[in-house]
Amino acid sequence: MRRLILCLLLSGLVCGKAAELSLPLKDKSVRFAVIGDSGTGETPQFEVAQRMVEFHNLFPFDFVLMLGDNIYGSKSPSDFRRKFQEPYEPLLAAGVKFYASLGNHDDTNERMYKPFNMNGRQYYSFRKGNAEFFALDSNYMDPRQVQWLDRQLAASDATWKICFFHHPLYSDGKTHGPSVDLRRQIEPIFLAHGVNLVLSGHEHFYERLKPQKGITYIVLGNSGQLRRHDIRPSQETEKGFDTDRSFLLVEIAGDELYFQAVSRTGQTVDKGVLTAPAGKNLSARGYTVANSPLAAGLQE
Amino acid sequence: MAIRRLTASLMGISLWAAQVSPPASPNIADFGKGVAKYLKVRGNAVSAVPALKATGSPEEILDHERDLAISIRAARPGAAAGDIFTPAIAAEFRRILQAALSTPGADRMKKSMSDSQPSPLPQITVDAAYPAGVPVQSMPPSVLRQLPPLPPELEYRVVGRTLILRDIEANLIVDYLNEALL
Repeated sequence: MRRLILCLLLSGLVCGKAAELSLPLKDKSVRFAVIGDSGTGETPQFEVAQRMVEFHNLFPFDFVLMLGDNIYGSKSPSDFRRKFQEPYEPLLAAGVKFYASLGNHDDTNERMYKPFNMNGRQYYSFRKGNAEFFALDSNYMDPRQVQWLDRQLAASDATWKICFFHHPLYSDGKTHGPSVDLRRQIEPIFLAHGVNLVLSGHEHFYERLKPQKGITYIVLGNSGQLRRHDIRPSQETEKGFDTDRSFLLVEIAGDELYFQAVSRTGQTVDKGVLTAPAGKNLSARGYTVANSPLAAGLQE
Repeated sequence: MAIRRLTASLMGISLWAAQVSPPASPNIADFGKGVAKYLKVRGNAVSAVPALKATGSPEEILDHERDLAISIRAARPGAAAGDIFTPAIAAEFRRILQAALSTPGADRMKKSMSDSQPSPLPQITVDAAYPAGVPVQSMPPSVLRQLPPLPPELEYRVVGRTLILRDIEANLIVDYLNEALL
């Protein structure tokens, strides 16, 4: 009996909290998860992946966005197995699709790796319901890619225009900080075409910034890596979490986008809802972000 | 199939050449000619290697990269550093890079380009693979705007202070420029 109690206590320590979903699970909603800087192949990546599987049972998301640094270090076939296939095997087996963007630790030819759904392209877009996703290669934002982005965003009539790439335009990270040069090049395009949400990695923590010129920026680079206490909170910080790994769940239902950031141990570290202006393809300005009292100020 | 790939490659060269206009200086025009010459050689080499489609097999990707690199090397025996970055072109590139990295915020760009660089830095060799385990550093967009545009097959990268001209699909160092960054 004593051994059983000890086992239960130990399993609780390892497994953390039971999964608690804060998303509404609305009918016909677009559901996805987000990971960044994940491909270490080390235990925490597997633990985050396991937590994602638990949440997938509650919140059956259809796809996962990858914010770069998908395969760290060497790129042998065994690395692809250890740093991607094995951790996410249950999700892959369940038909969950992964859409990758490239980080500075990735090889460009990962674009040929079918499970990353890049189809040989370094940057690409795809549509899900009323949302369009734009995967960018922030390692190499040359004029050709800038032109492509401008054209694609201009042509999109999606209510939700979501860009994802590796280097954050805004960040309170001590180690890297914002990619100001990149921001100069592409933020005007985001603003001109009503981008709603921007997801980036590179910084090994979770941070949601206050909307910048109407656009919500989330940094998520701790799905495998972690740089503890690397956030230097500023007036722009809305929510930060830099003491453990995490991933993000997102649900889009009409003009509402719900999000929940979950730690490796199952703790909800941030949640809220973004509301788009009525009608489609409107400017991102006028967004409201509702935070739950529970999420506010939680930084462990 | 091979002829179709070769034709597509030659058409790509024409399209790219049309974008590189007008050249800012004779040196940049010469650089464009050097790149076009490489693309022509590459086009023949590529046609000898089966095209790669997206695959779930990392082995296939690596095999294709290796086979393509072997074919390109065989097609340009004697390739050496400075074939494309001739002394005159090298001086022009150094000038462009110095100007691009002297702007406000340049320190942050330089820091970004040196992120996670190994120490000591690896040996860079023409026609060798990009060094394994070395991050493919991000290139600041404002620097890319200043450098002559490249066709989709090639890209600029930086290792240490060296600017590399890299064949993406073959992961091959086509040429490099030492002391490119001050």
